[in-house]
Amino acid sequence: MLEGYIPIFIIIFISAAFAFLNINLSSLLGPNRPNKEKLSTYESGMEPIGTAHDRFSIKYYMVAVSFIVFDIEVVFLYPWAVSFLNFPKPEMIYSFVIGLIFIVVLAVGLIYEYKKGVLKWD
Amino acid sequence: MIQLHELQFIIPLITICVASVLVLIVEVFSRNREVVFAVTTLSVFVALIITIRDISYSTIILNNFININNVSSGFNIVVLLSVLLSLLESRSYLIKKQINFGEYYAIILFSLIGMMLMVMANDLLIVFLGLEMMSICFYILAGFMRKRIKSNESALKYFLLGAFMTGFLLYGITLIYGVSGTTNLMVLFSNTLLHQEPLFLIGVGLFLIGFLFKIGAFPFHMWVPDVYDGAPTIVSGFMSTAGKIAAVATIFPIILKLNILDYRIIISVVSVLTMMFGNIIALAQTNIKRLLAYSSIASAGYLLVGLAAFNDMALRGILFYTLAYSFMQLGAFIVVGIIEKSSSDNKDFSNISLDSYKGLAKRNPVLATIFTLFLFSLAGIPPFAGFWGKYYLFVAAIKANLIWLSIVAILLSVIGIYYYLKVIVYMWFTDPETDETYIMSPLGTTAIILSIAGTIFFGLFPEIFFELIRFY
Repeated sequence: MLEGYIPIFIIIFISAAFAFLNINLSSLLGPNRPNKEKLSTYESGMEPIGTAHDRFSIKYYMVAVSFIVFDIEVVFLYPWAVSFLNFPKPEMIYSFVIGLIFIVVLAVGLIYEYKKGVLKWD
Repeated sequence: MIQLHELQFIIPLITICVASVLVLIVEVFSRNREVVFAVTTLSVFVALIITIRDISYSTIILNNFININNVSSGFNIVVLLSVLLSLLESRSYLIKKQINFGEYYAIILFSLIGMMLMVMANDLLIVFLGLEMMSICFYILAGFMRKRIKSNESALKYFLLGAFMTGFLLYGITLIYGVSGTTNLMVLFSNTLLHQEPLFLIGVGLFLIGFLFKIGAFPFHMWVPDVYDGAPTIVSGFMSTAGKIAAVATIFPIILKLNILDYRIIISVVSVLTMMFGNIIALAQTNIKRLLAYSSIASAGYLLVGLAAFNDMALRGILFYTLAYSFMQLGAFIVVGIIEKSSSDNKDFSNISLDSYKGLAKRNPVLATIFTLFLFSLAGIPPFAGFWGKYYLFVAAIKANLIWLSIVAILLSVIGIYYYLKVIVYMWFTDPETDETYIMSPLGTTAIILSIAGTIFFGLFPEIFFELIRFY
C-alpha cells in the first residue's frame, strides 16, 4: 500500500537535504564579517524602534478580525454572484434567499460592531 | 437543495438562531438587559417545548447532514433543560458580580446552537462545526470576569489546550475520510469492512481523544479543575452539564453504532482511571468548586463504564445519567453560586473554601438541606436520581459481562461518598464561624426547585423517563 508513496518520500528527503546543505555550506564557505547595521532587524529600510514584545492597542486586533470576516464574505459572495444567473428559476430564488440570510447575519455583526464603537479609531 | 418542509424538523434550532441574532440587536440598540434575558430564556423554553412535542420524529434531512431520532431528541431535551436551568440563575449571579452584559446571553445561545447541531449531526464536518461553535463560546464564557486574574487564567488555559485537542479531532476526521472517502456517519456505520482497517481505527481513536478531552476523561482531564475554579460559578455549572452532555451525546452514540469491540478494553481502562483519579484527588480538595470539578471528572468515568458495555442498555443508562447529572450538578453549582461572595476589592472569589460551609445548617437550614440533597444524589444514594443513573450504567456493564468493571466502578463510587459526606458534615455538625446571610433571587429559587423536583421525581419514578423517550 505504501509503495506508491516512495517517490514522495524521495522528494521530501532530497528537498530537506538540499535546504540543509545549502544553508550550512553558505555559512561554512562564505566570509563572515558582521557589523551593527547588518545584524539589526531588516524592515524595508526603516529604523527599528524597540522590540516586538510590547502590548499593542486592541484596535489593531479589532480591525484585523473585522477584515478577516469581510474578506471571507467576499470570497463566498463572489462565486454566488457569478453563478447566480445560470440557475433555473426555482433554484435562483432558493440561492437568493440563502445568500440573503448569509448577508443579514453578517450585517447584524457589522451593526453590532458599529454600535459598540469598534470602528472608531481615536 | 433543501426542501422547505425539511425545516419543520429543526424548528428548535431555528428558534435559537433567530433569538441569538435578536439578542445582539436588542443589546446594542436598547441595552435593556431585562429584555435580553427575557428573549433568551423564552427562546430556550420554546425550543425545549417543541423538542419534547416532536420527540417521535425520525428522519435524515438537509442533504444527509442532520439526523433526527429518539436519541438525539432525548439528548437535546437534556441539553436544553440544563441551559434553561443555568439561565434562570445566571441573571442574579451576573448582577452580583457586576458582569451583567447582554453578550453573555448571546454567547450562551451561540454555544447552544453548536451543541444542538453537534447532537443532531449525521456528518463528521457538522460534528466538528458544532463542537467548535460550542468550544469557542466556552473559552469566552470562562474568561467572562475579565478583570479577574483567575478567570483570565482559566480562559487562556482552556483555549490553548482546547485548540490543541481540536487538532487531534481533525486528524481523526482526516484519517477516517482518507480511508473511507466519506464523512457521512450513516455510511461509516454500515460499511463494516472498514472497521478492520488499521488507519480507520487510528482515526476513530484520535476522534475519540478529541471528545474525551471535552468530557474531561483521564488522561485529558487536567484542565477541568483549573477552568471550573476560575470561571464564573454559574458558567462552571453550565460547562460541566450542558457542554459535557452535548459532547457525550455526540460521541457515545457514534462509538456505540460503530461497534468496534477492540475499543472496549481501552474504554474500560480509561473509565477506571478516570473514576479513580476523580474520586481520589477529590478527597484532598478544600475548595468547593474544585471538589465539584473532580466529581464531574468521576462522573465522566461512570459514563464511560456505560460506553464500554456496547449494548442497548448502555444508551438508556447514559441518557438517564446525563439527565440526573444535569439536575444535581447544576443544582450544586447554583447553591455554590448563591453562597459565593465577592472579595472586598472585587478581584477574586471568596466563600468557596469548605470552611465557609461550616455550620451552614444553623445559619440557613433551607440552603443546607438543598445542598445536602444534591450531594446525596451526586454520591448515588437512593432514592435520588443519581442512584438510578449509576444503576443503569453499571447494569449495562454487567449485561455485557464486564463484571470486573462494574465492581471497580461501585467500589470507586463508594470512595466518592466520603468527600460528599465531608461537605455535609461541615454543614450540619460544625459550629458557624460567621453570620453571613445569603440572598436567593426568585428566578434562582425556581431553578433550584426545578432541579430538586427533577432529582427526586426521577429518583422515585425512573421508568417514566423511558416511557417518554421510547427506544428502538
